[in-house]
Amino acid sequence: MERSQWEVERAELQARIAFLQGERKGQENLKNDLVRRIKMLEYALKQERAKYHKLKYGTELQQGDVKPPIFEDGIGGEPVDGESIFITNSNVNWRQGRQLLRQYLQEIGYTDTIIDVRSNRVRSLLGLNPAGAAAEKEEQTGGGAINGGASNSGVSGSSGSSAGTGSSPGDPSGNSKRLSETQGRRAPAKKVPPASLAEAMIMDTEAAVMANFDFLAQEGVGVEVDDEDDMSDEMEDNTDDDADDTANASNAATSKRNKMKTKEYGDPYSFFDSSSSTSPSATADSGFSGGNSGGVPRRPVVPAPVTGPTPVGIGVGDDEGVDGHLGLGELAQLTVNNEAEVSYDISVNKESFRKTWNAKYTLRSHFDGVRALAFHPVEPVLVTASEDCTLKLWNLQKTIPAKKSASLDVEPVYTFRGHTGPVLCLAMSSTGEQCFSGGLDGSLQCWNIPGSNIDPYDSYDPSVLSNSLLGHTDAVWGLSLHSQKLHLLSSSADGSVRLWNPQSKSPLLSVFTSESDGIPTSVDFVRDDPNRMVTSYNSAACILFDLETGQPVTRLDTDKGVEDSVFGRQINRVISHPTLPLTITAHEDRHIRFYDNNTGKLAHAMVAHLDAVTCLAVDPNGLYLLSGSHDCSIRLWNLENKTCVQEITSHRKKFDESIFDVAFHPSKPFIASAGADALAKVFV
Amino acid sequence: MADVECRTERRNRPGTKTIEYYRWPEEMFEEMDSTLAVQQYIQQLIRKDFTAIDEILKAPDSQDEGVWKYEHLRQFCMELNGIAVKLQNECHPESCTQMTATDQWIFLCAAHKTPKECPAIDYTRHTLDGAACLLNSNKYFPSRISIKESSVAKLGSVCRRVYRIFSHAYFHHRNLFDEFENETFLCRRFTEFVTKYNLMSKEILIVPIFEETETGNFIGHSAESEA
Repeated sequence: MERSQWEVERAELQARIAFLQGERKGQENLKNDLVRRIKMLEYALKQERAKYHKLKYGTELQQGDVKPPIFEDGIGGEPVDGESIFITNSNVNWRQGRQLLRQYLQEIGYTDTIIDVRSNRVRSLLGLNPAGAAAEKEEQTGGGAINGGASNSGVSGSSGSSAGTGSSPGDPSGNSKRLSETQGRRAPAKKVPPASLAEAMIMDTEAAVMANFDFLAQEGVGVEVDDEDDMSDEMEDNTDDDADDTANASNAATSKRNKMKTKEYGDPYSFFDSSSSTSPSATADSGFSGGNSGGVPRRPVVPAPVTGPTPVGIGVGDDEGVDGHLGLGELAQLTVNNEAEVSYDISVNKESFRKTWNAKYTLRSHFDGVRALAFHPVEPVLVTASEDCTLKLWNLQKTIPAKKSASLDVEPVYTFRGHTGPVLCLAMSSTGEQCFSGGLDGSLQCWNIPGSNIDPYDSYDPSVLSNSLLGHTDAVWGLSLHSQKLHLLSSSADGSVRLWNPQSKSPLLSVFTSESDGIPTSVDFVRDDPNRMVTSYNSAACILFDLETGQPVTRLDTDKGVEDSVFGRQINRVISHPTLPLTITAHEDRHIRFYDNNTGKLAHAMVAHLDAVTCLAVDPNGLYLLSGSHDCSIRLWNLENKTCVQEITSHRKKFDESIFDVAFHPSKPFIASAGADALAKVFV
Repeated sequence: MADVECRTERRNRPGTKTIEYYRWPEEMFEEMDSTLAVQQYIQQLIRKDFTAIDEILKAPDSQDEGVWKYEHLRQFCMELNGIAVKLQNECHPESCTQMTATDQWIFLCAAHKTPKECPAIDYTRHTLDGAACLLNSNKYFPSRISIKESSVAKLGSVCRRVYRIFSHAYFHHRNLFDEFENETFLCRRFTEFVTKYNLMSKEILIVPIFEETETGNFIGHSAESEA
């Protein structure tokens, strides 16, 4: 049974091969033609430039201009043997690849329907339906999350453009136009000696093929069989492409199939980039090295597509748009997906176009779990609060030179002593001059933060501890500070939420209780309405209060979403969006939920982590959400489309707890996490 | 995730009351799979009964001794914060201008490039801060699972320095010391600890902590103060 299916499949494949080979021939001719034109254009440009230079400075332009003719000569001669080496080599690779692919397909089993899907797919990949294919493909492969999704925007954009300008699918006129244009704009770039060029090509091809199969193997542990098949389809198509391209020494980055292929590699942008920036004879080489996912990712220098529509702009700027796009399919699979895979994907993606957050500073000095942290509004300075009863002030500019380590160690510049029990929460004033901390013993301390350049071993200044706010009779778990008026909200296990004016002689302004809802776990000012605050309870209730009347205004519709699960109903953290009437809650049941403040209705809910979500932070612009969980990871989310942009494993577990707090720096590109392992980490 | 249902999650969730904090079923040391198992275990023992010093200092079988000593010392430094907070209110640089215990020695603060005659409160703070830096140093203690012999050797000097905080409090702020000691048994535990692991010599353990306990009038001493 399987055997016969396999036979059918094999026949199908062979037919495809023949078809693809024919196609390849056509493409090859086209490419040759295009490359010739490009060379002509480039040469003309160089001549022009030389002329201009001569006219302007009266001297010959030395560096680049002498070479082009030589270069062109080289192209006539050298590639011939480069090519021949290539063909043999790539054939071997090609066959190996085939074999692997077959084994693989055999293993997973093949049904007729899938074959149908597959042939459709192949057809579309071949350009019979270019724009649609690209889009579809992106969708089905989870936004190409596996391979630098960023690229997809560029790729789909440009293939869209080619479809737009050249009506016949096989005609890449749009691209060639673009290529020559970009070429014209660039100065002659580095030139690789053709001999080594050929060698490099071979190496790269090998690597490329290997990369393909690595990827394949990895995807093998994926989620749906369908997906896998799609993958393998593309794979197959690519193996062909590989063969194509390798056999074709002068292959430029003009063909649509090339672009398809780049998608399969890690870093298509650089593929395109390098191919358009180097002179044509070097294209084949640089195209390969660039397209090879193993390579060092380059930042995209590619000019925006000339005719292509902006790819999936989600209104956050291109990068973000792309970002969101790539994660599209990921959300659904998030909890199912292999952890390593997710992080791998993301790192690859992000590297290629946008900075990835990397751990840079490790803040070691606490003896026990770090429960909370807060950044200074302007300086690269932060305060951490720990179960070891202290708070510490850190200046990220004062690092200890570390050996052979990418991350820097920081020593604290000041230790705040005043609590006699674990410190549980922390808030920093918008001036950065004061901070407030709540402890397990029910105390609420106000601190004057010493200058960040203080000598850590200076003499004791009792004025650092300015005063204590007395009132809570049990552990203080939540603090929130109003950004304009210096008002402080605190939530405590004694069941009350209190509003303070710490400056005043009688600091306590009001007390909010809601006995039927249990104990408040977290509190925040509603940022777009300064007269309101939102409190979450361990009963999963979440209520907006009017600060003046002290009355509940809106009861968020949390009961619907939060079922009585084994994970408990607790809301661990509630935060208010900085600009929108939106409340975000972190739940013990692994969800992050979004509520509309006006209606109280659930706007969005997602399983965000593998374990309880403990903390949240929104960046100052309200575009990104950072979450931390006892699954040891922090995750960065694009708030626009609620997709995970990056996941970082950050802290180790102590008992069943791992991450207690996360934060964005209000004005600098820093994020931080605090963990039960007594460490805090800052990412840049 | 079936295992989640049948096991307790040991968590102090936001909203936990003070008395419920860390109140969860004990976990066997063998079952602790965390890299911080030793710390977890020590803290669990202390929480169970802080007066059961022998129990607390008894390392589980096959426990690496270096790590055991290291984690205990971390715990001591952490709990010493409590005495430092008390001293901040009472030990002023004007009255205690030097770090002394008996009149025999003036202790110099090692936190500075050249050891300095810091007032007692500064000595206390600097010594605890310095200990925090050393014990968290990536250079000497990069791992909490295994510790180099050369780093274990550093523990002795930390012990000697932090012990002076006990002795200063005992000889100059007796009320405070007694109050703290009754709440924590920390000095007793510390003295046992350094004796058991030979981290300090007997002669410099000047706080007569065990003699007092034996005569049974330790608690009654609080009225005398200021030796």
